[in-house]
Amino acid sequence: MALVKVENLSRVFDVSKPWLNRVIERRPKAFLKAVSDVDFQITERSTYALVGESGSGKSTIGRMLVGLLSPTDGTVEIEGVDLARESDAAKVDAVRADIQMIFQDPYASLNPRWRVRDIIAEPVTARGGDATGLAERLLEQVGLSALDAGKFPHEFSGGQRQRICIARALASEPKLIVCDEPTSALDVSVQAQVLNLMSDLKDDLGLTYLLISHDLTVVQHMADRIGVLYLGRLVEEADPDTLFETPKHPYTQMLLEAAPRMDGFGREVTPPEGEIPNPIDPPSGCAFHPRCPLATELCRNERPALRQLGATRVACHFAE
Amino acid sequence: MSQDLRPAPADTAAAPETAAPDATGLTAAQIKRMKRFDNPWFNPKLIWGAGLLLGIVALGILGRLFWDTDLVFTGAGMPRQGPVGVENIRGQVGTWAHPLGTDVSGKDILALLIVGAPNTLYVGVLASLIGMSIGIFLGFSAGFIGGRTDDVIRVGSDVMITIPPLLILVVVQAAFGDITLTLMAMLIACFVWQSPTRLIRAQVLSMRESGYVQMARLSGASTGHIMFREMLPNLVPYLFGSFIANVTTSIVTAVGLEVLGLGPQRVPTLGRVIYDAINSGALIQNLWWWWGAPTILLAVMFIGLLLINLGLDEVSNPRLRRL
Repeated sequence: MALVKVENLSRVFDVSKPWLNRVIERRPKAFLKAVSDVDFQITERSTYALVGESGSGKSTIGRMLVGLLSPTDGTVEIEGVDLARESDAAKVDAVRADIQMIFQDPYASLNPRWRVRDIIAEPVTARGGDATGLAERLLEQVGLSALDAGKFPHEFSGGQRQRICIARALASEPKLIVCDEPTSALDVSVQAQVLNLMSDLKDDLGLTYLLISHDLTVVQHMADRIGVLYLGRLVEEADPDTLFETPKHPYTQMLLEAAPRMDGFGREVTPPEGEIPNPIDPPSGCAFHPRCPLATELCRNERPALRQLGATRVACHFAE
Repeated sequence: MSQDLRPAPADTAAAPETAAPDATGLTAAQIKRMKRFDNPWFNPKLIWGAGLLLGIVALGILGRLFWDTDLVFTGAGMPRQGPVGVENIRGQVGTWAHPLGTDVSGKDILALLIVGAPNTLYVGVLASLIGMSIGIFLGFSAGFIGGRTDDVIRVGSDVMITIPPLLILVVVQAAFGDITLTLMAMLIACFVWQSPTRLIRAQVLSMRESGYVQMARLSGASTGHIMFREMLPNLVPYLFGSFIANVTTSIVTAVGLEVLGLGPQRVPTLGRVIYDAINSGALIQNLWWWWGAPTILLAVMFIGLLLINLGLDEVSNPRLRRL
């Protein structure tokens, strides 16, 4: 059963200069389309990964999912409730308690003036719940000591802090946790520990993850389904084995080609051609056509729809 | 903040039996001293600065107990008397009846300082408190609400910061005539809210995007909770620093007005003593104790405030600390 249903999701940011500058310099308003017509579903108790370059809109999707940003267009339904449009406050609150988030930077996501106990209990106490002994229990669950509850965040290392963030995310007993690059600020050895902890917790507590990452190896090991984003559009979606064995979209092929490989020492790597285009002024038709080796007139004029191709969904006119 | 800067031996010394020098060659007494100075709030600059200011407050309180404050009135003693042991132009030697001498109308300088110094400090602190309150309110509103509110507050404080306060106050005070200390503090407060507003707005803007505030919003915390429980504790060192800087500015402005003769007319203040001295030709008559004593006291006050500010800098910026 799908826990999260995302349909035609778009988000536009107004990045215009101030009114006075626009008048004097005679510039029109500028809009940045960070996310454009994205659809996907996340099955309960699975891990869905979003990958893409910087600026591809993966964090924006994550923030819209948890309700920190409202979508410009389209819907996000969690447990059948659309947070941005539902008017019944009780329903919204019930669903909100089921969503939590883990942020990229464990140094900035813990309030330096609060004790770990209060930080972890916040999702519960903010809703007026009783959190006696909760922090101690959760700390042990994420592999720290119950005595750490009385300490301040600066007394911990990066990996330990990320464990505290995970403990906090677990406090309100959520079903869905959005992990926004949870390991990219950590050392490689610590990354593995945190990822193992996350997958153990997923099995124990029946969690669902939306994992946002740019690290293909992390995604390959964690995800049940991977969505590849390019310039705010979903270009390919498949399970990890299919995606890594037979990538269909030329962008995915380029990404996998560029990723470092253990068996590839000494091989010639062709660096990816071109850069991600400016999202304020995206290319017409398929957003990838300026960098694509297969591009034709059709790609320049018509945006390809996401279509089913075997086990993969892919948005390319020529994928087969 | 303090703990991660603590030298390693301090931890091993936590055991009670380390009275003798341990492996690092530090005695228990040395370690104890290190631990005491380890608290950033106990740095020497802060202690000295606070000491100087407390000294002035103590002068005001103890002076009222042990010295006759009625001596501030005209004719309390012989005019133009020098401090103890100093001979004035008429050959009279100063006595213990007026240890700091008297002015041209026989007012006792010590009594003037005892009454005047706390008054000056009071104006500075009150103006700064009012200014800070306005600044905290506006800064939080601008940073938190954003949009048009932010534009109005930002432009408003930017414009106000360019206006020289003394110029406006001279005009206003001249129109008001005689005013009270509190009214003067309130007028000065109109010119010291801009920098805390800008400071707090900037901090709130950067904090609003930080993970812990986002988390609090996700958890359904109220705006008040986010402002006062999540954000404000992180602002405390900045607020203290800004407050002290504002006290300095307010005192400078207040003294400036008083020296121009635009302060309160019926209450002795340090600036007013200097005004009287200048007006009565104390410089030409070589009555140096008359203007000298309040000037030294003001200098002590400013040095105290400066030291407190430097000390607070050390508290909020660990990189300035030396072990």
